[in-house]
Amino acid sequence: MKANTFIFAALVVIGALLSNGCTDSAPSGPSASLGSVTVTKYVAIGNSLTAGYQSNALYHSSQIYSYPKLISDQLKAAGANLGDFQQPLYSDPGNPDPLTGKAAQYQLINLVGPIIGPTGAAAGTPENLALPRPYDNLGVPGAIIYDFLDTTNFGSKAGAPRNNAFFGLVLRSSAFGSSILAQASALHPDLVTFWLGNNDVLGYATSGGTSKNIVGSVGPTPASVFQGMYGQAVGTLRTALPNAKILLGNIPDVKAIPFFTTIGPKVAAGVKGAMAASPLVVGLFYEKSGEVVASSYTNFTHPQSDPLITLEGGPYAALLGQQTGQWYRDLAASQGIPFAALYGSYKAAGIDTTKPFGFHPQNPFPDALVLDSAEQATTEQAISAFNSTIAATAAANNAAVVDFNAFFNNVKLYGVTVNGETFKTDYVSGGLFSLDGVHPTSKGYGILANQYIKTMNASFGMHVPYVNINNLPGLPTVQVLGKSAGDKNLSAIPYKAWKNFNTLWQSGL
Amino acid sequence: MTLHTACLCVAAILGNAIAFAGGFQLNEFGSRAMAQGGAFAARASDPSAIYFNPAGLGFQSQAEIYLGTTFIMPQVSFYGPVADANDPAIKNETKMVNQTFTPIGMYATYPVTDNLHVGFGVMNPYGLGTEWPSNWVGKYITTKVDLQSFYYTPTVAYKISDQLSIGVGLSIVTGTVKLQQEENVINTDTQVGIDMTSKAAYGFNAGILYKITPDISAGVSYRSSVKLSASGSATFNPPMPLVNVVNDNVTSSLTLPATGFAGLAYKVSPKLEVEADYQYIGWSSYKQLEIDFKNDPTKNVISPKDYSDTYIIRIGGEYTMDALKIRAGYLYDHSPVASAYVDPILPDANRNGVNIGLGYQFTKNISADVSYLFLKFDQRQAVNTVTKFDGTYNALANLIGVSVGYTF
Repeated sequence: MKANTFIFAALVVIGALLSNGCTDSAPSGPSASLGSVTVTKYVAIGNSLTAGYQSNALYHSSQIYSYPKLISDQLKAAGANLGDFQQPLYSDPGNPDPLTGKAAQYQLINLVGPIIGPTGAAAGTPENLALPRPYDNLGVPGAIIYDFLDTTNFGSKAGAPRNNAFFGLVLRSSAFGSSILAQASALHPDLVTFWLGNNDVLGYATSGGTSKNIVGSVGPTPASVFQGMYGQAVGTLRTALPNAKILLGNIPDVKAIPFFTTIGPKVAAGVKGAMAASPLVVGLFYEKSGEVVASSYTNFTHPQSDPLITLEGGPYAALLGQQTGQWYRDLAASQGIPFAALYGSYKAAGIDTTKPFGFHPQNPFPDALVLDSAEQATTEQAISAFNSTIAATAAANNAAVVDFNAFFNNVKLYGVTVNGETFKTDYVSGGLFSLDGVHPTSKGYGILANQYIKTMNASFGMHVPYVNINNLPGLPTVQVLGKSAGDKNLSAIPYKAWKNFNTLWQSGL
Repeated sequence: MTLHTACLCVAAILGNAIAFAGGFQLNEFGSRAMAQGGAFAARASDPSAIYFNPAGLGFQSQAEIYLGTTFIMPQVSFYGPVADANDPAIKNETKMVNQTFTPIGMYATYPVTDNLHVGFGVMNPYGLGTEWPSNWVGKYITTKVDLQSFYYTPTVAYKISDQLSIGVGLSIVTGTVKLQQEENVINTDTQVGIDMTSKAAYGFNAGILYKITPDISAGVSYRSSVKLSASGSATFNPPMPLVNVVNDNVTSSLTLPATGFAGLAYKVSPKLEVEADYQYIGWSSYKQLEIDFKNDPTKNVISPKDYSDTYIIRIGGEYTMDALKIRAGYLYDHSPVASAYVDPILPDANRNGVNIGLGYQFTKNISADVSYLFLKFDQRQAVNTVTKFDGTYNALANLIGVSVGYTF
């Protein structure tokens, strides 16, 4: 009996010990690797989205989370023998607004409101000017497709008509190469990401359909011109780098970007409230292209044809119905001319600021703050044409396309959830877009980097690990704030703070 | 979405874990039964009949106290999260923090008359939880979950004849749920804690035990669903009042599913008795969980669960050698959770359990039972999960049960 008990107990103990070894093995799957691809140098080509621009500025704390820097880190994790990824860093709080000389960066000044804008802090200074070779990140804020092959002196672009000092910052001197293409080729990359074309349409869209393009007309870069330039750009790149892996980013729709979708609902609510309170209010009067006195109004009941109000219209949403000429005052101040001089010409054309702002054709919501249905159609057609060009060019040059258009449209509808955090395209509360409503947050850039990585893994047979979004800084997310916070009265970023944002897009002759 | 997932989590806990399949549902209602795969409804011959089949009390003619606990030691690893099938993150392993849980099973029975027997049980079958390293990749989904529930069960059984007995019990159920996760607000992580207690809820169970022949007996029992109403607080550490991240009161309700046992026991020889049971759990009644925030209804969460009815198959036997009884058993527990709902809060999978155990009669009055259960979860792939947190889970658990009985 006792022997039996002892044997039994021994069996129990042995069983327990054995069973603890009886665990499943780790699941099978790929290890991090580059596959059969060699990566000894990665170069990024693009505009402000590539440079790591956030909240209206380029600054060290944003640039270290640029998507090219994040991609480079992940390539190293996959075994690429890359050195430090060199960028044209600008010390915090970043580059100056030329109008004020102070830092241009928008910051959350007060959570109550919220109040957002430049804080008046002193600007930073460039940190990596002495690099004896071109930067790995050749993203130039404000660059259009034309700029890729352009050999115009970089420093001169800081003056009219471009008024863009970033060419000088990023490209520095023709000793490194006389064009973006030349500087990229000089580095002999075997992996290149190329995301240009956004500004060829975004400049027109963010200006409310008023800014001029490279050929001097009001509108996005004409589709045929874009086709020729884009094809030539990528073709030349492919000729210079016959064996490199090339990824081309395409252009997202404007309706997925909070710069265009945030103020409209506030204005709509204000209009509907005013209409309910008074039969004299029939809707919002707004200027269409070229108009001064408005010929049309909307009560915001036709989503297909209603105008979009840009983020710059934020402060004016609060002025609906008032006898105000605030817009004209701000416009004069941003152009540096006396109010009387500016207003005189508008008055002659029929503007009367004693009429209720936005509710009377003679004091309409201004063209520059509105993307009306015709302007929206122009924008959409341009984006669609550009994306067709990008797809065709990729096929012709053995490059892969990263479909940001599909990605952002999906995020607009459903949000994107990563490791339990959900991001949406809402301004501030969505977590994806920074305070200028166009450029992503660091977490947003991480999500973009992962789209590039997903495409390179699928297209080139690589197994590059994804960026861990948890470890990137971001902005508040909607879930904890709840809808109550998202509905708070929106930021009033002062109009003059947008000026250097707008000059980024100036390519017109 | 993270708070949303927190609530998904509470749902998983309250629902999954309290009950009978899914979560860490384990057979710790009594070490004698536990050693036999929990196949006990057709015999129910010790006071743990209060759980398995109250009719069993009808055939227990001695007053007895039967007290026990089980040490539960799960081990879980998560591989991932993976964004797609080619993601090398499948190699990234995170191990759940090792914890030991000690649910109790305490019973007392008393023969009022020859035929009428009563009993009372306090069962704590779901003292369990999950804990992941505090800064792990899934911290915005969950970091810690702790669940306890108590069943207070007065039971009465009536022996109609030497072959047939029936019994009914009333269950008074209370539970507590604690869960924690991180939330990212303005670049700072805040720790969200939800702490809820349920009001007492009521259910009943009933059973029949029929000794078809001296060697064959059959048992059927049924436990009703129980609706728990829980309330408590949600706290944020640190709070951020400017963005409405402030403490609040929360309420939630959850219906635990009905369950039933049907078993057949066979005395192979005077020394050897075997039994097979089929247990049914009506999980499909659990469609969604809602958590309501009292002061900020915009934080309310409704999360679908889409559970399926499921079953457990139990087989066990007992071999008597004088004062020593040797027991063994096997169980198969089919998970009610579809792949899209598997998450790190309660990673669930089909399980196979192998038990062995011993019982020893020390004196006329005093007996003791020990049991060991090795519970092996199938490797579970969570694919297209609603939490967008795909990956693979490996899990197993070691359980050691001890019960002591004293008859009067």
